[in-house]
Amino acid sequence: MQANKHLLLWTSLVTLALLVFAAARENVFKEWRRVQSAASGPAGPIDVHLRQVVVPTLAVADRCVTCHVGMAAGEPVVAGDPTLKRHPEVGHDPNVMGCTACHAGQGRATEKAAAHGDVHFWPTPMIPLRYADAGCGGCHTHIAVPTVDRLAAGERAFERNDCLACHKLDGRGGTLRPLGAGGMEGPDLSFVGARAFRADWYDAHLARRTEARGARAESDGEARGGAWDDSFGPLSREDRDALDEFLRSRVGAPKLVLAKATFNSLGCRGCHKIAGIGGDDGPELTLEGAKDPGRIDFMHVRGEHDLAGWLTEHFRSPATLVPGSQMPVLSLSEPQIDLLVRYMLSLRRASVPEAWWPKDRVRAERLGEREFAVDGATLYGSFCAACHGPNGEGMRYPGMPAFPAIGNPDFLAVASDEFLTSTITHGRPGRRMGAWGESSGGLRASEIATVVAHLRSLGGVALEPDARAPRWVRGDAAEGARLYAADCMQCHGAKGEGGEGPALANAALLANATDTYLFETIRRGRRGTTMLGFAQPSTVRPSLADPEIESIVTFLRSWENQP
Amino acid sequence: MVVLAPPPEQHGALRRFFANLRATPARVKDSAFRGGKPDTDRTRSTFVFGNVFLHLHPVRTHRWSLRWTATMGLGIASLAAFLITLITGVLLMFYYKPHPAIAYDSMKDIAFVVPTGNLIRNIHRWAANVMVLTVILHMARAFYTGAYRAPREFNWLIGMGLLVLTLGLSFTGYLLPWDQLAYWAITIGANIAQSPREVTDALGLTETFDIGGLQKLLLLGSDTVGEEALIRFYLLHVMILPLGLVALLSVHFWRIRKDGGLVRPVDADRRLGPVHAADYPVFTEEPRKTYQLAAVVRGKSGAVARGPENTVPSMPHLFYAELAVTMLTIAICVALALVSDAPLKELANPQVPENPAKAPWYFLGLQELVAYSAFMGGVGIPGIVLLGLGLIPYLDREKDGTGEWFGGPGGKELVLQALFVGFGAALAIEAFAIRYGWLREWIPDIPQLWITVFNPGTVLTAIYAAYSIWLVKRHQSTRAGALGLFTCFLCGFVLLTVVGVWFRGPNWDFYWSPSDWPGH
Repeated sequence: MQANKHLLLWTSLVTLALLVFAAARENVFKEWRRVQSAASGPAGPIDVHLRQVVVPTLAVADRCVTCHVGMAAGEPVVAGDPTLKRHPEVGHDPNVMGCTACHAGQGRATEKAAAHGDVHFWPTPMIPLRYADAGCGGCHTHIAVPTVDRLAAGERAFERNDCLACHKLDGRGGTLRPLGAGGMEGPDLSFVGARAFRADWYDAHLARRTEARGARAESDGEARGGAWDDSFGPLSREDRDALDEFLRSRVGAPKLVLAKATFNSLGCRGCHKIAGIGGDDGPELTLEGAKDPGRIDFMHVRGEHDLAGWLTEHFRSPATLVPGSQMPVLSLSEPQIDLLVRYMLSLRRASVPEAWWPKDRVRAERLGEREFAVDGATLYGSFCAACHGPNGEGMRYPGMPAFPAIGNPDFLAVASDEFLTSTITHGRPGRRMGAWGESSGGLRASEIATVVAHLRSLGGVALEPDARAPRWVRGDAAEGARLYAADCMQCHGAKGEGGEGPALANAALLANATDTYLFETIRRGRRGTTMLGFAQPSTVRPSLADPEIESIVTFLRSWENQP
Repeated sequence: MVVLAPPPEQHGALRRFFANLRATPARVKDSAFRGGKPDTDRTRSTFVFGNVFLHLHPVRTHRWSLRWTATMGLGIASLAAFLITLITGVLLMFYYKPHPAIAYDSMKDIAFVVPTGNLIRNIHRWAANVMVLTVILHMARAFYTGAYRAPREFNWLIGMGLLVLTLGLSFTGYLLPWDQLAYWAITIGANIAQSPREVTDALGLTETFDIGGLQKLLLLGSDTVGEEALIRFYLLHVMILPLGLVALLSVHFWRIRKDGGLVRPVDADRRLGPVHAADYPVFTEEPRKTYQLAAVVRGKSGAVARGPENTVPSMPHLFYAELAVTMLTIAICVALALVSDAPLKELANPQVPENPAKAPWYFLGLQELVAYSAFMGGVGIPGIVLLGLGLIPYLDREKDGTGEWFGGPGGKELVLQALFVGFGAALAIEAFAIRYGWLREWIPDIPQLWITVFNPGTVLTAIYAAYSIWLVKRHQSTRAGALGLFTCFLCGFVLLTVVGVWFRGPNWDFYWSPSDWPGH
């Protein structure tokens, strides 16, 4: 019995000690308790207790404000650790939306690592602070974002025309105090795109200038409007359009908008779908930013082992991280990569109750407005540029067949708008070119027409009128076969399956192309590409006479009915 | 009509009232103990006998049963672990909400904001694992000391029931956190329940007689793990299974007393030797009552015509032992709870299967067998094992070695040999199957029925059975065969579980270490 008594005594003491330890850990040594006890408000130390933001409709219960006390509702300004400071001024109050709606992380947690999501088994860790605006993508859609060039044109117009003298934008400008009198500041334009602005701002500005001139003339006889004359003058139509476009993009997230514009300019959608619009060659990206880092292989990632780090490394060298990846190495600059990472992280559209949708999302998802601007340049940049080159010059990526130069004047001179429209809408089944019609790639007929018009402008060439019937050629197929084997096969393949040159035994191509198109392409070639015209002899082969070309066309036609 | 006479002495009544009021605390104390305060051997005995909670104990306990090596306290440890899970479980029920939409959130609240919530949950989880472990060890103790033999055969069966209920309780609790771990472990478990389909499929009976599908449907209330499954598991976990366990426990304890206390060797008295002077006086008072009913009791009756027994009063001797083991169990559970957090992975996502999806650890041995044949691993072999365990007390009618560790023909040497055979066979079969594959890898279009009958699990079972039969012949003793078979069963269980826990990775492929898993 003595042994049992001893066992009872010692196990009881051990249990007691363990429980005392647990109680101390629970009640004294909690991280957030230490943070709060170190803080002091205007009326001395603050009350130490759990704080949280609860938004039932968003299923949010965020205890972030337990440490970030200064961001909680009704808390005084607290001094101490930077953790405790107030939330910077943004469009949203953390007490209305909670914290995780924008920043992600684990709102219910009360320990730093767990709350920031830097733990195993938390699929949505906090977005790194340097990419904080990517969090907007949870709800916002930012519609009609143009290309980088258009955006840069707008910004140039804004700066060149001295708008920053009176207006603040993204934390700059608004410094002018004309004649030391003060009070001339114009409104802050950082959020003007989100809140909308008057369409007649230009006329209104002109009217204000006239008014200022009148007032000055009355007071000191000089017919000048002071600051209105110094900093504002008539603007060209072009500048005004660029400014309009630029202002529409000022939604308080300049870097994110630039990131999206970069994405739109690099033709990424040529291979990747976002929200149902884009190509099918690469994986869909609609929820790329919501990827669970727990399911990512970080073995070859040199930087941070988080989603941003993975994406950065992936843009540098896709196939290193994803074995067998088809994505070409795009040779992007580091700033470009940083922007693309930012945009990828913003692709995290959450299922938010519709009552909480911002108007841009309603416009995009309910009214069908586009996230990209629908002018020709942006559409071409978003969907075509990656393969066909920013200016239609064609592209070559290692390990892939060359992509046709569709901005080539020789091409555009013989390719009718119908041919282009049909090709874009239905694609080239069997070749890389996908179908972009509404049911597949997601482009509307009007948008395809815009792209066709833009293509024309790229080449600067109109279609040469041709009165001949679409199928006027009557050549000798056997002769054509012989000539094809001698002169064409090397690039286009023995059976027209393609190689260096595009595949010609393609039902969609042969169905759409007129005889003139084929004939003229062979005769003139495409200047600037490897396809040289056969009307002129070259150092390596003789020229072909028109009947010979006709025979080749006839021979090509023989593939039309093959399966 | 009764006329109340006026009280004769009004002041006297008031005085009595206050006197009674003053005396109340003392009287409450007195009345709580039916035989008076337990401060002498006699009153203590009456106390134990008359108290509803204590009367499952004998009044006196044999000195043999109090030796640490007699039981290792494993039964009490299991009970203590159960009581810990009961108390912590009730506390958790205050905060846990059994619905898929909020179950996971309530787990996070328990982990992060409920005061001591995380500690309570950790203790609950560790106590549950300790319980599974101690129940298995307790069974092994009962087996190796021959405690299943007559007259304790039926209590052995009750014990098996308790083992099944313990596993059931642990398994149903596994789903409740509603995280990926829970979701896919239960999916695996439910598929094991569905495994008879392998045989009905092979026989073309599934259309008409889908017993496997029915089992799964009964378990989940649906085809997949969803809210029906969650509420079912919750109800089983917090009500049906605990009530069943308590009921069976009562029978288990009751039968210990009725079957003559804990098992001990026939020559226990001699081996214990004389009572040490320091020991509590043994059997100091003569019986106050004669038991008339002793005439109808079967077998030998109590202490008639025998000298002082080798027993000591249960209070305090047995109670100190029990309390000490209970406290030790609590200390272990709390310590483990402080050292290691109960896992909580990301929210359950039916679209993203865990790979590998693993059942709770005590089922990983089965899952290892299921990987070869769903039916055999899920139903066949567990059925054979349960049947074998249940038959042991009815086949082994020998007396030799009862109450002794590894008692019986062969003894320790036999168990040692069986350890080698058991581990060796399991290791060899596993190594072979992992290295060379099995029938499906060699003959891709072999009928599944062949594999169901002939797979590593059945081969291992057959080897164990053959070895055990050989032992019966060699030692001319069923006990010898049982010792071998039980030891082999434990070896197989341990080895398969170890392989399942540590050496199986994505797609149930073999890996030396999780760091070799692809994608990590």
